Amino acid sequence: MLSYNFKYELKLLLRSRWIQLLSIILLMLFGFSGYNGIQKVDKRKSDIAAAKSKIKESDAMMLKLLDSIEQGMTVNATPWTIPTSPMAVGNYHPRVAAMELLSMGFISTGQADLFTDYVKPKVSGEDTALNFTEMTSPVQLLFGSFDLAFVIVFLLPLLIIAFSYDVLSAEKESGSLRLLASQPIGIQTWVLQKLGLRFLWLSILVILSLSVVFLILGFNLLSEINAFLSLIAVALVYMMFWFSLVFLVNLWVGTSSKNAVALLGLWVLFVLLIPSVLNQLGNTLYPMPSRNMMINEMRALKAEVTERQDQILDNFLRDHPEYAINDSTQSRGFYHKYMASQKLIKEELEPLVNSFETQLQNQQNWIGNFKWISPAILTQESLNKMAGNSAEDYEYYRRQVMSFSGEWRKHFMPFLYNNIDFTQADYASLPSFNYKSKVHDNMIAILVILFIALTLFGFGVLIAEKWKQVGILN
Amino acid sequence: MISKTFFKESKELFRDGRVRISLAIVLSLLGIAVWISSKQYQSINEQYASAKTAERNIWDNQGEKNPHSAAHYGTYAFKPKYPLSLFDQGVDKYAGTSIFLEAHKRNEAQFSAAADQTGLARFGDLTPDFILLFIIPLLIILLGYNSFTKEREMGTLTLLKSQGISIWKWFIGKWSALFLPIFTITAILFLIAGLVLGNLKNFGVFNTSSLLVLFLVYMAYYVIFINIILLISSITKKSGISLVVSLSVWILACLAAPKAASNIAESKYPYPTRQEFETSVLKDKKAGLDGHNPWSKEAKMLEQQVLIEYGVDSLHQLPFNFAAYRTQKGEEHEAEVYFKHYNYLKEQFTNQSKVYRSLAAISPYLPTRFLSMAIAHTDYATHWDFADAAETYRIDTQQFLNNNTAQNTEYGQRGYKASANFWQQLPAFKYDPPKLESTLEKNASNISIMGIWLLASFGFLFFTTKNF
Repeated sequence: MLSYNFKYELKLLLRSRWIQLLSIILLMLFGFSGYNGIQKVDKRKSDIAAAKSKIKESDAMMLKLLDSIEQGMTVNATPWTIPTSPMAVGNYHPRVAAMELLSMGFISTGQADLFTDYVKPKVSGEDTALNFTEMTSPVQLLFGSFDLAFVIVFLLPLLIIAFSYDVLSAEKESGSLRLLASQPIGIQTWVLQKLGLRFLWLSILVILSLSVVFLILGFNLLSEINAFLSLIAVALVYMMFWFSLVFLVNLWVGTSSKNAVALLGLWVLFVLLIPSVLNQLGNTLYPMPSRNMMINEMRALKAEVTERQDQILDNFLRDHPEYAINDSTQSRGFYHKYMASQKLIKEELEPLVNSFETQLQNQQNWIGNFKWISPAILTQESLNKMAGNSAEDYEYYRRQVMSFSGEWRKHFMPFLYNNIDFTQADYASLPSFNYKSKVHDNMIAILVILFIALTLFGFGVLIAEKWKQVGILN
Repeated sequence: MISKTFFKESKELFRDGRVRISLAIVLSLLGIAVWISSKQYQSINEQYASAKTAERNIWDNQGEKNPHSAAHYGTYAFKPKYPLSLFDQGVDKYAGTSIFLEAHKRNEAQFSAAADQTGLARFGDLTPDFILLFIIPLLIILLGYNSFTKEREMGTLTLLKSQGISIWKWFIGKWSALFLPIFTITAILFLIAGLVLGNLKNFGVFNTSSLLVLFLVYMAYYVIFINIILLISSITKKSGISLVVSLSVWILACLAAPKAASNIAESKYPYPTRQEFETSVLKDKKAGLDGHNPWSKEAKMLEQQVLIEYGVDSLHQLPFNFAAYRTQKGEEHEAEVYFKHYNYLKEQFTNQSKVYRSLAAISPYLPTRFLSMAIAHTDYATHWDFADAAETYRIDTQQFLNNNTAQNTEYGQRGYKASANFWQQLPAFKYDPPKLESTLEKNASNISIMGIWLLASFGFLFFTTKNF
């Protein structure tokens, strides 16, 4: 029976031009979204490269200046930018702390339009003032991006719904169900087989069109086969989840349009409502402290610190004798006081700044506990992680930058407090930023979605049992 | 005929379990959304008020201080939330809420809410605008997709034709049966929200005419959708197909078009990255006068110019402190540089808006969204307006501070401190959002696009009546 079903279903799909239509739609959607993604990634990559090459140029200039000064020449530059001063190097010659983009970066925009990929931490200024948000039009942030993840998470389910919402009801409505009932096959087995075949065909189309699009976009399928396979796996289990819902609705509900309405309701529920309600509940349960209050507190602290600058510097030097062991001049200028005060401000503000991170962590944990309610969330998250653009990735990056910023500042402290000039010889030992990307495991998400889908299928088979008593034609 | 069709259709809709359930769901979702938003609105406004007073206190009580130190210490401008944001949160979540105003630098608004939220925030929020813009059109589809197809399917069309009905009266009956529930839901929402807003304490600038215009915008949006859905229902042969086509239109208009528009707008008119922007500003700043640097070429030129202008031969003879004058001139040069670069951003934004408008041809969602945000003062243009007002205030503040130094000190004098009560003389930052008339004027193109949509959809509907 399966072989007959297979043959007729394929014929039917080809003759109703579903397969042709779906392949064109999929190719167009994947193509457009993939192209958008590649464009974005290319721009991000070239931006980072340009920033790095600019730093290289300015480093060359700095070395030239240092060389002239070391040879005893006078240089023509603004006094406070002359790189013999360690603070000038720390402020005017920062390093590029850039995130590295993954080869799959184009499949999902994730948080990449909201956050920046590279910053240049300086010695002066607060860490909280380091702006990690990108300069994007908020309208764009509001509308979001037409990326592959959008096609997979939002549109693919709608295609599935349109493709098979009336598998059973159409037979009922056209009267062919009676014919079918005379065949030696259980109705749920028949629906399952039919949907299974549709799933098979749609999977083949998705895999093929994704491969074609990826090849055209210049993605190296051979060397990145693992990443590609896990993308396919996520897409397939997510599709399976929707097919399982279609299966249930087909068995449970009656007419074609009722089916369509029910499925659409489920789509709104899983894709739009659950994510936004979870997010809002997270915000209500673990509200963020007010950023404006943080500003107030920081300002009050700064005002207070400015008044006690001398005392703070004394305390600082007492606490950190290692910074000024070799200082014979004992001369103290603006930066000596400033850096000591900044350190104090940073330490005092730390609990407040951390409270934001803790609260974000709390929200994330809370969502982590409930996100499996909607496979759409799991899928979107997995795709973001594969692209290296998830909220976690940016948080991880932020933390690395913070620690690098501390290292950068610390590197210049002995120079400053010992009143030592920065020289060409010191250039080589300047700290540099090395990004380590976060390793994600998507296996769990895939298994969870698979489990949900299989449970729903099992549930469908169970309810179909009732027909054995009632009879399908009644 | 019109009233008979209307009553029959309304009764039918009301007796349908699906319709009752979905109406109940939409209404309860709306209730939750309004409740959440009003809570949020209240807490944000409280935070805003206290942050504003605290910041002003800090500024007023600086004690004796050099004015330029105070300029570097700076102050903050906080962005208020407006009452109609209760309806449409717009881009508020993605735009910063506070701008640091300091010497030599124009800062962007920082701390957007979205940056402090998890990745889920990008799915959207359960706010009234989400329901008004996405869910109610879906409800229209649900109520109207089979309006005509069912007559074909049940065979009642032949019956109706044999009665010699006037097709257009029949259409009007159907149309009004679909319009009434939508109108009622929206009217109830606006009434309740109007009452809530009227009862909120210190609810800021809120006027009923804005509320009314917003209501009209949404009604126009729904009328367009009703026309499209009835059009589809009258053309297609089967209810199922009518539903699928209507849904495709919804997906295209509300989901796909805005996203595609944002991609096209960005690739055509990209913003610089934050770092690039800062680098190019720095480059331009260096090319001109630096108020802190008396040795630069530009500073020497200014010196000569002022000496000639006042007919004196040394800076000490000037009636004011030249150092402070130079600082002010440097400030003006920097303000110009920022003006140029921010203007470039604005230009890009204007060009992007054109892309959005051109894609409005396939999506009535786009003009509605932009109009609704603009009226609610949560759009990007209002954000720009606020940022510009803050920048003007910053420039005025710098002038106020530099003038004090210039008048009260002599050239070469160091360690000047303004008296402790000087700071209170600086007027407080005040920002009024654009008036409704000017908002509508600026959005004239969006209004006309909606007008075209309205006319075109009515027109098409009218012509299809001839096919029956």
